[in-house]
Amino acid sequence: MATSARGGGEGEAAAGGGGGGGAAAEMEVEAYRRLFPVAYFERHLRESVRLDARPLASPRDTSVALGLVGSADGSALVKFGDTTMVAAIKLEVMTPPAESSDEGSVAVEFYMPPICSPTVRPGRSAEVAPVISKQLSDVIMSSGMINLKDLCLINGKASWIAYLDIYCLNADGSLFDAALVSTVAAFTHLEIPLVSVSDDGRVVTVPGELEGKTKLPLVNKDKRKLMLNNVPFSLTCGLHKEHILVDPTAEEESIIETFVTVVLDTLGRVVSVYKPGGSVLAYTSILKECITLAKRRAQQLRNILNESVSAMEVDKSS
Amino acid sequence: MGNTRVIVAVYGPREVQNKSQQNNNQALVRCEYSMANFSTGDRTRRQKGDRRSTEISLVIRQTMEASILTHLMPRSQIDIFVQVLQADGGTRSACINAATLALADAGIPMRDIVTSCTAGYLCSTPLLDLNYVEDSAGGPDVTVGILSKMDKVTLLQMDAKLPMDIFENVMQLAIEGCKAIANYIREVLLENTKQLESRRGG
Repeated sequence: MATSARGGGEGEAAAGGGGGGGAAAEMEVEAYRRLFPVAYFERHLRESVRLDARPLASPRDTSVALGLVGSADGSALVKFGDTTMVAAIKLEVMTPPAESSDEGSVAVEFYMPPICSPTVRPGRSAEVAPVISKQLSDVIMSSGMINLKDLCLINGKASWIAYLDIYCLNADGSLFDAALVSTVAAFTHLEIPLVSVSDDGRVVTVPGELEGKTKLPLVNKDKRKLMLNNVPFSLTCGLHKEHILVDPTAEEESIIETFVTVVLDTLGRVVSVYKPGGSVLAYTSILKECITLAKRRAQQLRNILNESVSAMEVDKSS
Repeated sequence: MGNTRVIVAVYGPREVQNKSQQNNNQALVRCEYSMANFSTGDRTRRQKGDRRSTEISLVIRQTMEASILTHLMPRSQIDIFVQVLQADGGTRSACINAATLALADAGIPMRDIVTSCTAGYLCSTPLLDLNYVEDSAGGPDVTVGILSKMDKVTLLQMDAKLPMDIFENVMQLAIEGCKAIANYIREVLLENTKQLESRRGG
């Protein structure tokens, strides 16, 4: 079996039964972990620690990198510990339908290629992928992050459709959270290309250099950025007996059956709460605590995103 | 490689998923190649099983199978999943190079490092590692994959017409490119092993 890079070391320290850390003791811990995952997990919980030595309420290290894919109009790479998501936006011109002639549209698609997890088989896509797809497009629409009227070019004739593709490259829990952050980051990075109307009335994109040559530069100045209001951030917590675990990994997700996902926007308002069944029935107090944890996480994510935006701007100007 | 960005994941050796294909003497090698929708200039909705993907999957599988010591792992399966994030020419070669690194990272026994590189011939000059613009210029495009230390060619593909003597030049150039990549890959693997060793405290 290909050995995973997870530190068996942390698990040993917490379990306390790992002897002197010799190879035999390490194998016994690994075997216990595979054969009795729930017991192994609960033994950790009793010490208020998780399988990767994190405290219960602490999320994993998060990093955001913008502009990864040069061929796309906006892109971002997000990592929550080992969970890796790549999001990219491509803009195309379309004719808007009659009932929303001054609006553009956004098409969100979330893919889990077999590269992301040993449980995803080629030929049969992961069960959870279309669910996350739908959740993402619901959150984007209901939070009002993007004003669709901003995506309009010529009223009634042409508008942008933003195709957002998110690929999960490594699935290690908290997929929806990472996907949402990558969506927000990609839209932050998005630069709308210049367009003009050609002689036969078609809308063509104009590469930067030809700006002065053609007739009607529709976009004001340079490449335009989208105004994002009410940016949503989310947090998934797992509920196991009476413990709340923030940002679960894939191993934890296989043991825990109940999850609560809370989405908040910049003003701290709750955009959505999602608790799809599960054996733990949550009282209002638990939900309130999840919302508090989500507020903290949203602030953290906002800072990380702002840092990466300023890092990118420094790169561009230098 | 340049603007072509590829990520490869290797799973295995693990239990064969389709028991009817199980081989009692050696490991089964499976490869799946897929391109992200945003990887090329125009966003195209790629069907999973389209012809180009299937062909490249087959090419990568057979190239890697030549190097993996499959008889050491009977009744098991090794999966190589390739995802192209950005395509700017030479995707086949980038995939093979990445697959070699992934297999080495997974600790799967191989005969040698397989590296690959493309070369072409435009305006009477042999060119190494064509990008998309050069490739679409319509000149010949030779892809070579070799087992570096053993100096054996496992993959050779070419389209368009080329006179024999020029072909030899171009192929030689591609082989030199492969060797340069092999040296770089070897350095990276050594560096990685040293880091693993120091982390283990050994």
